[in-house]
Amino acid sequence: MDAMDISDILREFDAENAPSNSKDYEDLLKWWVNERAAPEILQYQDDLVERIMNRVRRQIEHIEDQTGNLDPRANFQLIIIQTELERVKFLIRSYLRTRIAKIDKHALHILSTPTLRHLLSPSEQTYLKTHQALLNELYLSSFLKNFPENLRRLDDSAGGISMVEEPDLDSAVFLRVVRDVDIEIAWEGGETVPMRAGDVYVIRYSAVKEAVKKGEVELI
Amino acid sequence: MYGELGNKLVIHAKRTQALSQLPPYQTDIVRAVTREVRDLNQDINEITNSYEGDFNPSADPARACALLVHHLCVRRNKRCLLAYHRVRSEKIEQMCWNGMDIMEQVQAARVGEGEEESGGSSHALSPEEDEYARQYGDMLAAYKGQWTDIDLTGSLEPPKDLFIDVRVLKDAGEIQTEYGAITLSKNSQFFVRQGDVERLIKQGFLQKLN
Repeated sequence: MDAMDISDILREFDAENAPSNSKDYEDLLKWWVNERAAPEILQYQDDLVERIMNRVRRQIEHIEDQTGNLDPRANFQLIIIQTELERVKFLIRSYLRTRIAKIDKHALHILSTPTLRHLLSPSEQTYLKTHQALLNELYLSSFLKNFPENLRRLDDSAGGISMVEEPDLDSAVFLRVVRDVDIEIAWEGGETVPMRAGDVYVIRYSAVKEAVKKGEVELI
Repeated sequence: MYGELGNKLVIHAKRTQALSQLPPYQTDIVRAVTREVRDLNQDINEITNSYEGDFNPSADPARACALLVHHLCVRRNKRCLLAYHRVRSEKIEQMCWNGMDIMEQVQAARVGEGEEESGGSSHALSPEEDEYARQYGDMLAAYKGQWTDIDLTGSLEPPKDLFIDVRVLKDAGEIQTEYGAITLSKNSQFFVRQGDVERLIKQGFLQKLN
């Protein structure tokens, strides 16, 4: 059986019976793609993830309840539910892992910028801090302890290269416009580009940063 | 020559990136580079101290140049050391995420290289890295613990089928599934739920069949 067929059925099922559920699912999908496509870390979708996780837990319980059921129809339904569940679990897993990868990559930059730090969930913040402390300890005990005092820093920018890695906000992203919006392009004279819903653009991330956060455009 | 050892470290790091296992820690080189840094720094201090504060670079360009070269070497060595350790720590982190037993890996690496080096006296991880691996593992477990329903270390491939065919490569004992217990003995083949055996596939006990 082709996997795409099942998701079609589920989409119909969702749309008819549970509009709010499918909205959350679409949102998750959207933020997952946004997170993967954006060069910098985005706001953690606390409520959304929490709502979906609650549902995931309910479904797991439901599956456990029904497992003993030998009725073939219930069994088939169970397989569909489980397939869907695996997909949602994958989405959340990938979403969280993408964030962790970004956190690791730009650790010092995020740590030293309070506005960015607040975008993280509490457990991500703990992860970030503990991880950096561990790394520091590793460097220090491996070789930095034998270095002269003035060379032990990990965040100076002497010699022309900053030791803190920052995301490249000017990298290009693909996006689809959700709502009509005027985007100001940082050009001499501040040009504006009117974007209509449904349009697809390739543009510098820094120009559409705010629009992504407000949900006016979505990255693809 | 200044910086030559640092270069060796970077070459080692580059090689490490392409390997599936962590090669032995280059204790000697790391120590030598660190010593070079210390020596150079001492030279720098001697030069600057000999002027007692009022050093004018344009009056003595030769000394100024020596200072600059020393200083750049020190910085470069630091960068090389950092790069080397960062690459290795990233490898260690990756192993933690893959749920591999680090100690087992070390053992395997030792066996693999032991045939050539006879004896296997080289340690793949330095004591500091050992400690790092342990603590990172603990931290990861703590973070993962909040997402038990998701299994954060699970596959990052989008799931296609709920059930998959697997072949058993190594005896893995008995596992519990919702359809009862299965005994995974070598060379047998099963049709099982992917979620149940994900871990065993990663650890190399099972192989997924298409």
